Amino acid sequence: MEFIYYFGDVFTPINFSLLLLGTIGGLILGATPGLSPTMAVALLIPFTFQLEAAQGLILLGAAYTSTVAGGAVSAILLKIPGAPANIATTLDGHAMALKGEGAKALQLSFLSSAVGGVFGVLLLIFLTPVLAKWALAFGPSHLFWLAILGVTVIGSLDSNSVVKGLLSGCIGLWLATIGFDDIMGAQRFIFHPSLGGGINIIAALIGLFAIPQVITMFAKGRKNDGSEAIKVQKYPIKSAIAEMMRNKRALGIGTLTGSIIGLIPGVGGQIAGLVAYDQSKKFSSDRDKFGTGHPEGLIAAESANNAMVGPSLVPLLTLSIPGSPTAAVLLGGLLIHGIFPGTDLFDNHPDVAWTFINSMLIGQILMCIFGLYVAGMAARVAQVPQSMMAAIVLGLAVFGSYSVQSSMGDVYVMATLGVMMYFLERFGFSAAPLVLGLILGPIAESNFIQGSMIATATDGLAPYFFGGPLNIFLIAIVVVSIFYSAYMELRSRRYTSKEEIMA
Amino acid sequence: MKTLLAGAAIALMGLTQTASADGHANYPERPIMMMVSYGAGGATDFQARIVTMTAGNEDALGMPVAIINKPGAGGRVGWNWLAGQADADGYTLGAYNVPHFIAQSIKGGVEYSTASFEPIANWGADPAVLVVGADSAFNTLQDVVDFAKANPGKLTTSGAGLFVGHHIAALQMEKAGDMKMAYIPTKGGGAAAMKAVIAGDVMAGINNLSDAFRAASAGNVKILAVADLERNEFLPNVPTMMESGLAVDNASVNFRGVMVPKGTPQGIIDKLAATVPMMFENKRVAGKMKAGGSPMHIMNRDEVLAMWAAREGTLKELLAGL
Amino acid sequence: MSTITLPRLQHIIGSGIVAAVGASVCYVSYTQQPSEAFLFPRLISTVFLVLALWTFIKACLGWTKVGNGISMIQFINLAPGLVIALIYIFWAAKGLGFYTATTIAFFILFSLYDPAPHTVLKSWVKRVITTACFMAVMYGLFALLLKVYTPREIFF
Repeated sequence: MEFIYYFGDVFTPINFSLLLLGTIGGLILGATPGLSPTMAVALLIPFTFQLEAAQGLILLGAAYTSTVAGGAVSAILLKIPGAPANIATTLDGHAMALKGEGAKALQLSFLSSAVGGVFGVLLLIFLTPVLAKWALAFGPSHLFWLAILGVTVIGSLDSNSVVKGLLSGCIGLWLATIGFDDIMGAQRFIFHPSLGGGINIIAALIGLFAIPQVITMFAKGRKNDGSEAIKVQKYPIKSAIAEMMRNKRALGIGTLTGSIIGLIPGVGGQIAGLVAYDQSKKFSSDRDKFGTGHPEGLIAAESANNAMVGPSLVPLLTLSIPGSPTAAVLLGGLLIHGIFPGTDLFDNHPDVAWTFINSMLIGQILMCIFGLYVAGMAARVAQVPQSMMAAIVLGLAVFGSYSVQSSMGDVYVMATLGVMMYFLERFGFSAAPLVLGLILGPIAESNFIQGSMIATATDGLAPYFFGGPLNIFLIAIVVVSIFYSAYMELRSRRYTSKEEIMA
Repeated sequence: MKTLLAGAAIALMGLTQTASADGHANYPERPIMMMVSYGAGGATDFQARIVTMTAGNEDALGMPVAIINKPGAGGRVGWNWLAGQADADGYTLGAYNVPHFIAQSIKGGVEYSTASFEPIANWGADPAVLVVGADSAFNTLQDVVDFAKANPGKLTTSGAGLFVGHHIAALQMEKAGDMKMAYIPTKGGGAAAMKAVIAGDVMAGINNLSDAFRAASAGNVKILAVADLERNEFLPNVPTMMESGLAVDNASVNFRGVMVPKGTPQGIIDKLAATVPMMFENKRVAGKMKAGGSPMHIMNRDEVLAMWAAREGTLKELLAGL
Repeated sequence: MSTITLPRLQHIIGSGIVAAVGASVCYVSYTQQPSEAFLFPRLISTVFLVLALWTFIKACLGWTKVGNGISMIQFINLAPGLVIALIYIFWAAKGLGFYTATTIAFFILFSLYDPAPHTVLKSWVKRVITTACFMAVMYGLFALLLKVYTPREIFF
């Protein structure tokens, strides 16, 4: 209960105004297509050099929390996820916006983000020592199976054709191998100098989602009648809360999956939303409605990607191992003040540790309040004329992909992938599985190679990859997931063919 | 429109000024960027940000230095970019990690070598250390060597990648002890390699002294030996490998510093070489580096040139058999 | 069932290109060395090729169920915008500097697709003002706030 003692520190004028600044700034940056949370946080580093340790961390923590939630805004309204964490949000969120439920979707997303986020931070407060053990339990073999579990989701994600979904995933897996192989250092498929650094995931994300949207707007031509503008219906916040409470199952699955997966160093943040989306789809009685603007999918995805924020800091705060690029930046914010995460942090600088953690708790709530406040206004973004929106998004895509690592090559990669994706989409392929492949490929590959190196040096491949309760558990989920998908596919096929006969 | 025209006029004036100014007396006229070939938050990135934080002061460069991260493949991505695609105009600096980039250039498959870059100054020296988990049965370097000799190829040892300082240290240990270890390169740099040690995925690990020092003070690992010529001020109780009877010199020490791509005007190189070491000596910099557990080692351009040449010789010999 | 017939030829061409990419990826991964580094690419590219061929055969037989292809009207609509966007990204952004190129591209694209009549002065004034506002926001966000140093050949 030590943390309650330090709550007062959050509300000192300077700390609280930094918290507000970080939250509002983070929401705006996160909502801008083309800017990712890691970037927003990295850009704040120079400021933290000037601030006290606790103040710097408050700013970084608030920005981290709210950029993740802010990314949902562009995901819902424009179908452009701000970060890999928001990919799953586009699937139902954007469909809802198209139905005129943009305001409702935004409100639901901020509410479920807050629920997930608060739960995640509470886990961080109460269960850190236990969670630290859990985070360490995942060795290379387990991470490999986890990535394979992610691959099994690919086929059923956002595509009406399983084959094309898998093929999109394969294209993504292949794209991920471009560049220097991280372990061996061999060059693979570098057929243009821009690809020397491999395909940057953020640049790819911008290209694969934003550019097809731009071209789709072009394809509509010069429309005069205004019929293309999306309507935005007002939605009372009370009903949004009621709607969220009706979907307790999705909320629970999202929050739990996000918390558990978020914990795993190096994997969690990016796939938490997608895995939660897929799980709640499998458990839902309305699984056919997923992808057509169903609140359940949105709630699961958004609660998961904010639930991951708290636990993702566990390896950093206890073991001093940064589990994600954002955590690495936070580590810098501590080290600059001579504070070492781990026992040193909690024993010698409890004021810093607990003020930071408490501020994340308050930050989640502030984020929700501001988010709800702007949801109605933000939804009007959808009413910006297509001609203007296309030009705006294109400009942001170019600047955004350039600023990831100040590289023109990333801009070329972004544009090439984007144009390619537009045409692929016209033939029934979709971007979400492709990006999932792009994310999972390197995780699966490096952990397999690393695992097999350890295995050959010790007890052999089979015992290493198939032995131990955690491996067996993960393999079981993979098998169940595959059979379930195949069963659903066969059932729906029989169903459609029957329908066709009837017609 | 008026402001645009005014802006254009100013820009044109700026252009003519740049063109007419010779000897680069006015350098730098705009912010400088420094490429770090590891991710944000990594040891190199962290230190680069600290040592450049006073760059904007009048007694230093007078212009801020912005850090640009180009991570990937143990640094190859960033250095390839610096050698091949960066503008050699003095506004693009790069951070080097020796022996990493020299070893990679010897091994081939990259577009750079020591001849592609001009060193400016060195700011830090981070020796590689041998770490084992806090609950490991190994307590001394001798224990590790004994195990490796008794079980050739069974001692799993993590490190940040192939042909980086950690790998060089592992190769030197194998050569000196006439033994075989299983070196496991990790994706995700030193942090991932350290995680593998703490979690018990591997039996031992070679890591940066600065990261290991932190992990050890958190009680997660034991540091058994330092691969350097003398003991480190941060770890006065940890012996060097030489002391423990393993003939490993300082070839794997991770020297970090600033360089520019070849072709940068000599005037700018001279100016940087004169100012940058002084910038590193700033008290605030030293204080922050010490607080973060990062050992400093300032060297000027001539000393770095000599160090590069010496490393290249050692590494060519070491890597010849591979 | 539906009034739009699937443009079968487009599907054949589209999936043909994907299959060709799959085949070349497969060829490259099986011929390049070192083979340890290409283990994963080999695995992926094999599955890639099999799935791509499957899709291609389905397209040839006219069994494709999803994807509407591109109609002539859509293509005529998107072509000028796409061409300008590509010139902007692949040449102008670097050649003219980000801000100059973006100003020009934004103005052209916005004017090109803006439904407001081209003959009225008011719509042009609106376009100029919108472009200026957008660029001001971009400059404020990227240059001043985020301090990204974008290529700036001429002007700012």
